[in-house]
Amino acid sequence: MISIQKKILMLTTVVIVIMSIIWITLTFYNYKTQVKYNDILNRYLILNDVSRSSNQVITDLNNFMIQPTPYNLRKLERSKKMMESAKYEVFNVRTEVNQFTLTNYIHLMDSLIETTDRLIGLERDSEAAVKDLAETTRIGNYISDMTLTLIDMELKTHEPFYRGIMEQSIELVKLGIWMILLTSLLLLMATYWFSLSITRPIQQLTEAASDISKGRFDKEITVKTNDEITFLAKTFDHMRSNINNLIQQIKETAKLEYELQQNKILLQESHFRSLQSQINPHFLFNTLNTLSKKAYLEGSEEISDLLVSVADLLRYNLKQIDRSVTLRDELMIVKQYMEIQKARFTDRLQLQLEIDDSCIDVEIPALTLQPIIENAVIYAIEPRVDGGKITIRIKNEADFVKVEIADDGMGMSTEKITQILTERQVESEGHSTGIGFSNVVKRLRLFYERKDVITIESTLDSGTTVRLKIPKKRGEKHD
Amino acid sequence: MYITLGIVFVSLCYLIFVSANIVFRNDLELPNAKKQTDSQYRLVFITRDMDTTFWNKVGSGAARQAEIEGASLEIWGSYSSNLDEFLKKLELAIHSKVDGIIVQGLDTDEFKELTKVKAAFYGIPIITVANDVPMKASLRRTYVGSNQFQAGSLIASELLNDMGAEGNVVLLYDSQQEYYQKERLNGIEETLMKYPNIKTLYAETSESRDQVISTMRDVLNQMPDVDAFIAVNANMIGPMVQEIGKRSQVEPYFIYTFDDGPESLPLLNEGKIDGVIKQDPEKMGEVSVEQLIKWLNGETVPLDINGYFTDIHILKDVKK
Repeated sequence: MISIQKKILMLTTVVIVIMSIIWITLTFYNYKTQVKYNDILNRYLILNDVSRSSNQVITDLNNFMIQPTPYNLRKLERSKKMMESAKYEVFNVRTEVNQFTLTNYIHLMDSLIETTDRLIGLERDSEAAVKDLAETTRIGNYISDMTLTLIDMELKTHEPFYRGIMEQSIELVKLGIWMILLTSLLLLMATYWFSLSITRPIQQLTEAASDISKGRFDKEITVKTNDEITFLAKTFDHMRSNINNLIQQIKETAKLEYELQQNKILLQESHFRSLQSQINPHFLFNTLNTLSKKAYLEGSEEISDLLVSVADLLRYNLKQIDRSVTLRDELMIVKQYMEIQKARFTDRLQLQLEIDDSCIDVEIPALTLQPIIENAVIYAIEPRVDGGKITIRIKNEADFVKVEIADDGMGMSTEKITQILTERQVESEGHSTGIGFSNVVKRLRLFYERKDVITIESTLDSGTTVRLKIPKKRGEKHD
Repeated sequence: MYITLGIVFVSLCYLIFVSANIVFRNDLELPNAKKQTDSQYRLVFITRDMDTTFWNKVGSGAARQAEIEGASLEIWGSYSSNLDEFLKKLELAIHSKVDGIIVQGLDTDEFKELTKVKAAFYGIPIITVANDVPMKASLRRTYVGSNQFQAGSLIASELLNDMGAEGNVVLLYDSQQEYYQKERLNGIEETLMKYPNIKTLYAETSESRDQVISTMRDVLNQMPDVDAFIAVNANMIGPMVQEIGKRSQVEPYFIYTFDDGPESLPLLNEGKIDGVIKQDPEKMGEVSVEQLIKWLNGETVPLDINGYFTDIHILKDVKK
């Protein structure tokens, strides 16, 4: 992991290194040029030195000739020594171009020294002395002239060199400008990329944060860098997934609670309805029993049985609805109900039972078969003049008991089926218990905790079949 | 965007490359320093007629030979016979202790003083070239150039050839009476002496142009029936022909001179003069250097004091 600090340090180091290289190069170049300049200047100074010291010798010689004191002699000796040291310096100026002139130059100095030495030994006012003095002056002039010639020669030989140096110094300024431009360009680009490498992950993080703030917890946060931002992003992503899990849990709990609530509401509704019909049950039973006995005594057995059936049905209904009963009990009450309906519809109603007795002890919520059959009676038998047939089949299957209630009526539309199965049907009037089809569907599903417990199959004009699959083991969940 | 950046980057790199190439170019070296003194001889060739055809040829011959011999030679001198400057150069050469001096001889006391006293004092050998100064007066090692006496004879016999054994001849020479002129005059005189019908007139003048012209005027006045002219000093041929031309046609006269003056050869080509003694200046230069180095190497000691003579022949005006 390269931290942002390291990145900044790296960038700064690169910049410093580039600057240093440029600085060192230029310094080195300046140093080189300086050395050259010094060299050139030195040459001129050496030549000038010779000219000056030779003049000094002549001046001192003249002084000595006028006043031959030891002081003047010392002065003359000193200036002679100076000229000799200048002479040795001149060897450094020698090049291929000026060697001839330079050798002459050196010999001229020798001549001057020789003449001077000779002159010191001579009689002051002799003719030879006067002549030699004139000669030293001439030699001095020759030296001065030759100094000028040499300097001129230097200028001529070095002219291309000087021009080159001038050209180079102009070019150096240009080079500096190009260097600054290039370095600026590179730095700008490097800084741009560098800042991008910091800001892009932050932007990604910002986007993720805004997603989360909008409530989208399922989008994974991925940031591909190798600095601190990745760590931040990982932590952030971890937090997001935690929140997501928590919310999922809360949602599930809420769903469970909602289902519980629904169940309770349904029960309360049933209670309410049963309470409505509980107004004076004992009185009603007693009255019905009295009527039944009275009818029996008066020889109307049929009416007596009918009244018993009504009373039984009433009693069954009045029992607590949230109890579970066996399929046998349900079938009993269906039979009672059909007795009553037969009395009403006589031949128009035909009931066919195909029951496998081995399996009718399974548990089933109370008042489930009766409302379905009542529904079939209301929609398949009642509207038709020639009546109809209702068939109840109970079959034993491997894991469940299959209950089929089939009629041969007009059938139902698919919309209606969906209405019923999605438990949306508004209760219609005419049901003896006040419990509608959709109530049955709801209760069955709640009871068995599975959706496919009830299916409806219907074709228009040829009847409807309602199938119940009642699991033998309660609470066995299916997907 | 990236293309623009790329172009800018590449062009900047190119410009930097070009500039850096110039800035860090290393061909700006000072001329090679020389610590060692070369053992080669330092010779000086001094003339007082710099940049004339004749002396340029002597100089180039000498330089060529010096290169062959591996000696360094410098050509010094004065222009238009500036004697002061010439003598100054000679003295400078002596004080500079060169190994040898090749000099256009000058028959004056100052010159002789320098060669005889100073050069001898420093032990510097001096060779005269083209114009000689007698050995006894100058202590020169030798002379390289034409045999001037013979040249005089040659020009005189050429005159006799053209003009015949009868006529008036004007000899124009300068008042300096230099040795080489004397030799030439002697040569002419000796040849013409044998012919009594030839009358010679000696016209002495100084070298300046005006003087030459006025002398010529006098001569022509004195001897209107002159037939031939010989300019013993070749520098005088220009004003001489000019003055003759003012009076009459130049063609009828027989005019002769030597080739060591700047106007000799052009006038010959124009057909104004009839004959020029052609010397061999390049050979003079070559031989002088060769002999000087032989002496310095100790191969020929002493050198022939009479001198080493180079070729002379006569150049005729082809139009005639």
